[in-house]
Amino acid sequence: MAGYYREVAKRIFAQEFRESNLTFKDGEDQYAPQYLLTPTGAKVNRMFIVGTLTEKEDIGTDSEYWRGRVSDPTGSFLVYAGQYQPEAAQVLVECETPAFVAIVGKQSTYTTDEGDVLTSVRPESIQVVDGNTRDLWVLDTAKQTLNRINSLKDCGNDAVKAVEHYNTDADQYRTMLKQALELLKEQQ
Amino acid sequence: MNETAKQIKDKFFELGVDIPIGDIEERLDKLITKFRVPVNEARRSVINYFLKEHNIARSDYFTGQGEQMPYGESPQVNTADISKVDMWVSVKGKIVQLWDNDHDSISQVGLIGDETGTIKFTKWQNAELPDMEEGKCYLFKNVISKEWNGRINIDLNKNTSIEELDMDMDIDVPGPSTESPQVNTADILEADRWISVRGKIVQLWDNNHDSISQVGLIGDESGTIKFTNWQSAELPDVEEGKCYLFSNVVSNEWNDKIQINLNKNTLIEEIDEDIEVGTSAITFTGALVDIQSGSGLIKRCPECKRSLTKGACTEHGKVEGLYDLRIKAVVDDGIVTQEALLNRELTEQVGELTLDDAISMAADALDQGVVLDGLKKKLVGKYYTVIGPRMDRYILVDSIEQESQVDIALINDLLTKVEVA
Repeated sequence: MAGYYREVAKRIFAQEFRESNLTFKDGEDQYAPQYLLTPTGAKVNRMFIVGTLTEKEDIGTDSEYWRGRVSDPTGSFLVYAGQYQPEAAQVLVECETPAFVAIVGKQSTYTTDEGDVLTSVRPESIQVVDGNTRDLWVLDTAKQTLNRINSLKDCGNDAVKAVEHYNTDADQYRTMLKQALELLKEQQ
Repeated sequence: MNETAKQIKDKFFELGVDIPIGDIEERLDKLITKFRVPVNEARRSVINYFLKEHNIARSDYFTGQGEQMPYGESPQVNTADISKVDMWVSVKGKIVQLWDNDHDSISQVGLIGDETGTIKFTKWQNAELPDMEEGKCYLFKNVISKEWNGRINIDLNKNTSIEELDMDMDIDVPGPSTESPQVNTADILEADRWISVRGKIVQLWDNNHDSISQVGLIGDESGTIKFTNWQSAELPDVEEGKCYLFSNVVSNEWNDKIQINLNKNTLIEEIDEDIEVGTSAITFTGALVDIQSGSGLIKRCPECKRSLTKGACTEHGKVEGLYDLRIKAVVDDGIVTQEALLNRELTEQVGELTLDDAISMAADALDQGVVLDGLKKKLVGKYYTVIGPRMDRYILVDSIEQESQVDIALINDLLTKVEVA
């Protein structure tokens, strides 16, 4: 479709998200979306996560600013919601921990004084879901990550860029998937 | 660059302003070399600069619809020789067809033909040209060729003049002189094709245009397509649920969608068979990542069933709306996003509430929005499979199921794939 199109919500495990630090924009326009390229070559603007909200904390000084920690089989995501994400923030306020949550949101990065890039998620929506949805997400995300790993050698633009930047070790991410899937299997 | 500068200088000289060529070159060079502006953009910028400097209106410099017309009269060519876009030409020929036209900005559209063939022409409203009659011959002076849907046509604009000629020409008209090929609705993908369509009238829509006699959907085994029966075609009415053969209709693009137009050359023949209308349903599984505004409890216009915005219908103005429930969902499988439209019945099923529940929820909260909020809370973030025919960017959902439990076999299958490196 011409003009606007909606960004697809990518499926990334927390470990891979945490190890990502390459951001870029398509085009010079100040409104051009920002992307995060992950080690397996996912080009992420929007993402979809289902995991366990393990901690939540209001870290705001003047107004409420909530930080949540959402864990998946490989690690955890940091989620920040403040006055500009009122619906998501409200869910964080009300919901109890731990809880399964589904999050649709945008990736966000912060560079520390030491030059480290920290990744986090700015939620558009947070919903409390059931464990089944979480299991479906793990399977979905494992499948999509494996597809990306298998495509690394096909030399697509994003794959080449990812391998160049991260020197991606495919086996490391295969091991991550294997552990995640074995955990999922045990939990059935 | 020197040539560009010279063109600009010459044009300004004609308008009575003598600009030193060095000034023009300097500005061009700065833009192109130092600020890496493409030549076209730089030219535009330099021209605008000097127009402003010398207080000349843009319209004196540019003529027509932003096209720069060459001086003098454009060469007269045969229709068959118009092969490129942006050619300024003059054409002599006969108006072989005038088409029905619903655009405000177009005054007439049709085909002009000469001995070498025919070409589509569009006479724009702002060209302020006199109307022409079908079957008469004219000389079009200074028209420009354009491309639309991969075909060359000509535009009549402010630079154009029309001269009626006292003569007649014998022209081969494409399309309806012979029987147009019969095609399936699913295969109608391009505009401006003469075709015949056999199908069942699936829907007749309400219509308030004086120039349209009927509008609706005709369907065959392959799917459905919108048709418009123009008043000027002087055709008999069709009935919903009956099957017809439409011979010699023209495909046309409107709002990015292909539809068919019935015209004076069209024949409608009722056929005595029942055509099974295909739905070509598709199945899509993914996470429901958003429910769009305009979902939940809505009000529809009692006349045309369109949803109301702030209590008003875009067609019928302020009306007493009828309540309805619907969901415009965005389903996302991580590769693409797919919009899905759920009607009242499915919204009630998946949202586990009735229309009456929704109305009383809204009344209690004094806010229709609570219904949408409730649906979001219930559905967003979960995995669903939707099935239904695709219509534009939507799937018109016939059935929706939440994904069931994870299948151990799928986990095992994926585990083997992970290990085979």
